[in-house]
Amino acid sequence: MDAKFKVVQPWLTLFSRLILGGVLLLAGALKIGNLQKSAMAVRAYELLPVSLANLLGYALPWVEIGVGLLLITGAAVRISGLIGAFTMLAFIIAISQAWARGLSIDCGCFGGGGAIDPEDTKYLTEIIRDLGLLILGIYLYFYPKGRFSLDK
Amino acid sequence: MSANDGGDKGTRNLVIIMVAFIVVVGVVFSLISNRSSSTAAIPASVSAADGYGIVLNPSAKPTIDVYIDYQCPACKNFELINGGYLNEVIAQNKAKVVYHPMTFIGPESILAANAAACAADENEFVDMNLALFQGQASSENSGKWQNDTLLNLGKSVGINSAKFEKCIKDGNYVKWTGNVSAASAKANINSTPTIFVNGKQLDRNTEYGDPVKFRAALAAGGVK
Repeated sequence: MDAKFKVVQPWLTLFSRLILGGVLLLAGALKIGNLQKSAMAVRAYELLPVSLANLLGYALPWVEIGVGLLLITGAAVRISGLIGAFTMLAFIIAISQAWARGLSIDCGCFGGGGAIDPEDTKYLTEIIRDLGLLILGIYLYFYPKGRFSLDK
Repeated sequence: MSANDGGDKGTRNLVIIMVAFIVVVGVVFSLISNRSSSTAAIPASVSAADGYGIVLNPSAKPTIDVYIDYQCPACKNFELINGGYLNEVIAQNKAKVVYHPMTFIGPESILAANAAACAADENEFVDMNLALFQGQASSENSGKWQNDTLLNLGKSVGINSAKFEKCIKDGNYVKWTGNVSAASAKANINSTPTIFVNGKQLDRNTEYGDPVKFRAALAAGGVK
């Protein structure tokens, strides 16, 4: 490993943890107060059977909060980063298929969600944001050891 | 070592266990609290078989299902555009109309839905429904819909009974709104308003905002 990278790597890991963890924690916290809406947002993707979509709508905010807390405190970073990356990959697939099929929905990433006017959709922005977060998650899987972490 | 300047292993494991506990308890709690309650008090006009909706003209045909949230601006527009005709259909017994007041916009949607259900018990649902939309606040959960304002709204449409007052103040049908939500979630309702005629969803892009097309859609569904 390059000497410069060796110095930067633990800080990059901290940065990735705080960004990915912070975004997940925020996204979960904003949804937790209105799980009806959260389930509605998942259903609006028209991707999963209704009962599964509802289950995911009720459960996902808690998982986001959990993974967010683990990443911020730096506990089980490798697996948390992997879960975070998988979550982002799933979001990217879900948003892309909604876009490709011509649905008009809000991603519901930070609360809200459901059908919106076609001119209000922001698919590209949402995908680019999630792609960035996906990269952070993958980075954490490969370089989980970083600054200010509970992991030894 | 720079990479190992964090806490000890015990703290780490404790944090992982606590977080896992929060997630599991949270998920279980959310699943349970979003299920239909078998003990919820339900208005006389409500039928579990019709998704816990408020049923008007139970024996008429065809069936029109109306999913709304009293705080949803698009629902207010729908009511102002098509409510008059729909109320005519109800008054002339030309269709069974089932109202599903959803509550995903928040606490004041629950209070409003409870008030509508209390009004249904007084056979004043249609007027209360209209009054709730006409009086809709310009922002969500603004503080406008509280028990006393809803009680006054009821009075404005001629409901003066002590039973109605008690129904509002006790939040008699608050739990029932959870049943409506659970049934609407199962019915895959993703936005409001959503209207079905005999189970066929009307086209939200053309048939909700145009009274002529709405009338035609109902006629096509068998409303004479």
